[in-house]
Amino acid sequence: MTTIPLALDRPGVAIEQGDHICAFYRGRDQRDDVLLPFLRDGLVQGDKCIAVMDDPDVEQVTNPLSLVVDIESLLLTGQLELMSSDTAYLADGHFSTERMLDFWESNVSQAVRPGGFPFVRSVGEMTWALRDMPGVDQLVRYEARLNRFLPRYPQVILCLYDLEQFTDGRILLEMLKTHPKVLMSGQVLDNPWYVEPEDDPLA
Amino acid sequence: MTRPELEVSDQLGRGLLSTMRSLLVLGQLMTESTGERQILELAVTAVPSLARCRVVSLEPGEPNAPESPVPGSGPVGGPVEVADAAWGWGYPLGSPPGRFGVLVVAADVAPSSEEQFLLRALAQQTGAALANRHLHAQELAAAEELSEVNDRLRGSLGALERSIEIHDRLTAVAVSGEGREGIARAVHELTGLPVAIEDRYGNLKAWAGPHRPDPYPKESSRRRDDLLRRARESNRPIREGGSLIALAHPQGDVLGVISLVDPAGAAGEHDVMALEHGATILAMELARIRSLAESELRVRRDLVDELLNGTEEESALARAAALGYDLQRPHRVVLVEGGRSGVGIDALFQAVRIAARDENVGSLLVARGSQTVLLADREADWEALRQSIIRGLGDVSVRLAVGEQCSSVSDFPRSFRQSRLALQLMRSAEWSDQAVRFDDLGVYRLLVGTEDLGEVERFIQRWIGSLLEYDERRNAELVRTLMHYLQHGGNYVATAGSLIVHRNTLKYRLQRIRQISGLDLSDPEVFFNLQLATRAWQTLRALGGTAGS
Repeated sequence: MTTIPLALDRPGVAIEQGDHICAFYRGRDQRDDVLLPFLRDGLVQGDKCIAVMDDPDVEQVTNPLSLVVDIESLLLTGQLELMSSDTAYLADGHFSTERMLDFWESNVSQAVRPGGFPFVRSVGEMTWALRDMPGVDQLVRYEARLNRFLPRYPQVILCLYDLEQFTDGRILLEMLKTHPKVLMSGQVLDNPWYVEPEDDPLA
Repeated sequence: MTRPELEVSDQLGRGLLSTMRSLLVLGQLMTESTGERQILELAVTAVPSLARCRVVSLEPGEPNAPESPVPGSGPVGGPVEVADAAWGWGYPLGSPPGRFGVLVVAADVAPSSEEQFLLRALAQQTGAALANRHLHAQELAAAEELSEVNDRLRGSLGALERSIEIHDRLTAVAVSGEGREGIARAVHELTGLPVAIEDRYGNLKAWAGPHRPDPYPKESSRRRDDLLRRARESNRPIREGGSLIALAHPQGDVLGVISLVDPAGAAGEHDVMALEHGATILAMELARIRSLAESELRVRRDLVDELLNGTEEESALARAAALGYDLQRPHRVVLVEGGRSGVGIDALFQAVRIAARDENVGSLLVARGSQTVLLADREADWEALRQSIIRGLGDVSVRLAVGEQCSSVSDFPRSFRQSRLALQLMRSAEWSDQAVRFDDLGVYRLLVGTEDLGEVERFIQRWIGSLLEYDERRNAELVRTLMHYLQHGGNYVATAGSLIVHRNTLKYRLQRIRQISGLDLSDPEVFFNLQLATRAWQTLRALGGTAGS
């Protein structure tokens, strides 16, 4: 398995191809501490980067990166794709596991086609799941099924969970169970709470 | 240990290690958690993954609260009776001094010792996370409190700085002697609003800023009194019309009014503060002006009093010089009193002061009883001065008498006596209100100068004694009638007119005069002697009236 260094501006943090990482943080500043280095390193290395943020003004989220990379040309070439959760997770006003898996399948396979990008970094801000919308109760199942999709392509997916928004400890533990790795306090750890998809009858 | 036994032990060890890592991750997540509920939910949700048991209760509490008794002792906790369960255990959340409640779990079969160890560790971790959160909350509250205190302090400091600025600016005005105009200007500069300073009657005395009304409006005295009363009753400036109004009233006596013209109600707390400081400085300024005026007036009054009563020359000259007054110029004592219709003392004093200033006659004057005494330092048209006084009083007639010229300080009492005598003669001889110089009194002046008044008295008795006696006995007016008749040269019509009696009455009275005195009024010799006798009688009366003063 290929090891992809991920600085995240902290020593000793590394991710590997196929990783499905659950990042816990508190507030927007801590989110950016995780999100921006993740994207920056990918863009600099030539990876395809897909960011689905729970914010209608997605470009504003990545503004700080413009000091390092040319955001506009990256958007033009398609190396960077920015989307809001309303147009991805909650397209058509509801969440659907199948549709979302199709979304990733379509985007990632397209990105890594011959002559495309060698690697795909995806990041999703998950606060949309707290909205009272149809289908959001499928979140746990969706996260579990992502684990089957991930090994099929050279990619890594980072799921962002804001502890100030996800206040229910029971949901947090469920999220722990669906992500093989967890990023907390600047450390990426193998997640001992993770339950393999084949062990989970729901997945 | 056999090989299979070693393998089992190894598997158990790896399992325990993996579970410990789970606890580590959970502990980290708890540490990152935002609230107590999140931590407790993580703990409750994690229990079934760590041991074959269920959570009966997880009661949080304040650190070491008595209502959260921990079974057993120390971090191990102790057994708890749980209905329908063979095994129940209470684990303290954390250790003293940070113990945050109890986690009670139960099972049909007691969990293994490894599982119980994991439950204990979970409770410890949960307690640590709760303690951490508690501490964080305390720090947050302390930081917020500190921030609030800082904000208040910054606010107070700002207000204090502004207050000092206002105080400094207005104190500088007070010290610089810029007067009411300076105060109005300073308050205007501090507030940005137009400022008006009025006297207590509403007359504008100073204005600073744009939009000065012309003419300046003046309210009725009743409304003004009502406004001043309301302003006095309030400890703060009051709003009236489009203005904020503050009184300058040291010792409760309203000396002036300062107002911020603020129709939009834009004045803030600091503007009100500037207005209040301005009112204080204005009160000081007005009190100072009044005190100065009063002291000068008092010094002048004392000097005039002493000059009239007779004083030591050198001292009087020195005090007059201190007032910027040259006493060594020739003076006359001028005495003014209300005419037949009478006049108020203050009004008379003010009218004489203004007339003397307008006619450039002098500035040393004093009120004495119902009269005003002026030390005139210039020969003047005394009738013009009297007319000026009359105009000042609104056409109220006055009498004015002028003593002889004083060439030295010691002459003032004499000139004063002469002016009083002249006034007395004017009254007793029933002359019309006029200005009279003692110098011009003719025969009266001669009579006043006679040393042997006994001879004069005998002369009076010889000619009009019987008439005086008759008047005294009958309360009649024969001497007065005779006096008018003689003054009018024996003209019946003029005499009746001046006495305001009918001609028949006059004829009757003259008939009685002839009968009682036995004199022929048509005889020129008799006529002359009677004129002299009546004037001598008036002079003695005037002298008698002034003798005591």
